[in-house]
Amino acid sequence: MSRLPNAPYPQTASEWFALYRSGRVDAKTDLKWREWLAADPAHELAYEECERAWELSLDVGGSQGVSNALRQLDQQLAKRPGGVLGGKAPRPRVWAWLAAAAGLGAVSVCTFWLIHRTSAEVADYATAVGEQRTVTLSDQSTITLNTDTSLRVTYSQATRRIDLQRGEALFGVAKNAARPFEVHALGGVAEAVGTQYDVRIDGDHADVAVLEGVVAVESSGATRQSVAAGQSVSYARGGAVSAPQALNTTAIRGWEQQRIVISDVPLSEALHEYNRYSKLPIVLGSPELGDRHVNGVFHIGDEDAFLGALEQGLHVKISRTATQIMIEAR
Amino acid sequence: MTFAALRFLMHQPPQPPDPSSSDSDEAGRQAHESVGGQQGLVDGSDSPESSRHAYVTLLFNKYRAAILRHLSRLVPHEDAAELAQETYYRLLRHPEIVPIEGMARALLFQTAANLARDYRRRRASHRSDQHVELTDDELAQEHLGPEAFLAEQQVRAILEQAIAQMPHETRTVFLLHRFRDLSYPQIAQVTRLSSRTVARKMAEALAHLSAALGQTT
Repeated sequence: MSRLPNAPYPQTASEWFALYRSGRVDAKTDLKWREWLAADPAHELAYEECERAWELSLDVGGSQGVSNALRQLDQQLAKRPGGVLGGKAPRPRVWAWLAAAAGLGAVSVCTFWLIHRTSAEVADYATAVGEQRTVTLSDQSTITLNTDTSLRVTYSQATRRIDLQRGEALFGVAKNAARPFEVHALGGVAEAVGTQYDVRIDGDHADVAVLEGVVAVESSGATRQSVAAGQSVSYARGGAVSAPQALNTTAIRGWEQQRIVISDVPLSEALHEYNRYSKLPIVLGSPELGDRHVNGVFHIGDEDAFLGALEQGLHVKISRTATQIMIEAR
Repeated sequence: MTFAALRFLMHQPPQPPDPSSSDSDEAGRQAHESVGGQQGLVDGSDSPESSRHAYVTLLFNKYRAAILRHLSRLVPHEDAAELAQETYYRLLRHPEIVPIEGMARALLFQTAANLARDYRRRRASHRSDQHVELTDDELAQEHLGPEAFLAEQQVRAILEQAIAQMPHETRTVFLLHRFRDLSYPQIAQVTRLSSRTVARKMAEALAHLSAALGQTT
């Protein structure tokens, strides 16, 4: 695909490396690569440099510059307007529509288009902070997107693929053994035939929680981990999948009903959870408060109730600025 | 490696490679031969398991020196050999190994790098079982020692800067492929570039990054 039949073979290490990243190399081209590699020891070393640069670059994903750029890209992808069906219409360059879309507020937008060659159905869905929505797909499977979430649906004849780019979503999968349902997140994949499960990206790791049925989870090419109803696993990008743990389903059942369930966790953890839904971050001015345990069920969007409960229950002082909400010891 | 030699090897119990006895002469000689030969490894008379085992063993032996170099840059040198061995066993069980040597090599290197990451994470969590919250940087510093830690910080800073300096289109293609796992056709779809251009931009990105890294070593 990347090397057209008449195109010359690559000349440099980076060209060869990029060609192999396409995943489409035939035996003849592979032979040419071996010849190139063997022709000069410098070729081998230059190729190794590409392999090293490729692997090391993964560790930069969490840096501020790269994560800002990725966030921007995610938003731009989610806001992409339709109108490119069939690719016959004039194709505005992505940069042009990205610029045009940049002015819009953070509203959820979904876009549909067809990839002609594979006749796959592709759609993007996103929610803003504090927003939730449920979509029903063409096979009657449902996806409920939690706050600040972005994902892509690619339905082809062979597979039903979801790419979770950010946030958390609950999947109700319509049974179809011939067409597995795969949720890809942070380089790993959670696959099911018909079930209900939740996938969440939280910082550098992804959690997969199974409510019904069985889901196979795989990351970094290691053996698949089978996860049954009532269990959850987690993995980091490129890392192995953890052993299954018993799952407390109340938090997931809660967000599904627009409620944040906080059950006996330290305040620091509760705020991490609550801040996913909060437009202004709630921060701790007194670090020692972070260890106090808290409990409660709060309606998503009813921030005053949450802060009021903290104020009364923990005897803290709450102050607001334009950029944050501060909790301090009295 | 000729096909006949391969058949011979398959009738011997395959020797687990010993990554610690790195032999650069042998590696150099082998580098001029292919693992699977032009024929690839498809041969109906042998069980897929044994031919796969032979293939992985040959592949590993051929690239043993390169894998050790690769790992030595990701974990402390003394641990690289052990991880190379583990890489070999992982690859034996890997379902996606294909008789296209360049793709098999990519899988080999990626598996090694993933193991290195797991290993470091394991080491880090082992040292912080006191429920004290440490940042990744603090864990890395404790594990690697100050010098290696600084070197690693420097490498990260260089890569981050190199990514920032890429031309806009090149950077977009690179970020979508590296961090969003989009394939070239998917990137072509969302950027309105041709698949061929996407491959060219990826090559540019890789050349840019490895040139930036090359200046440090």
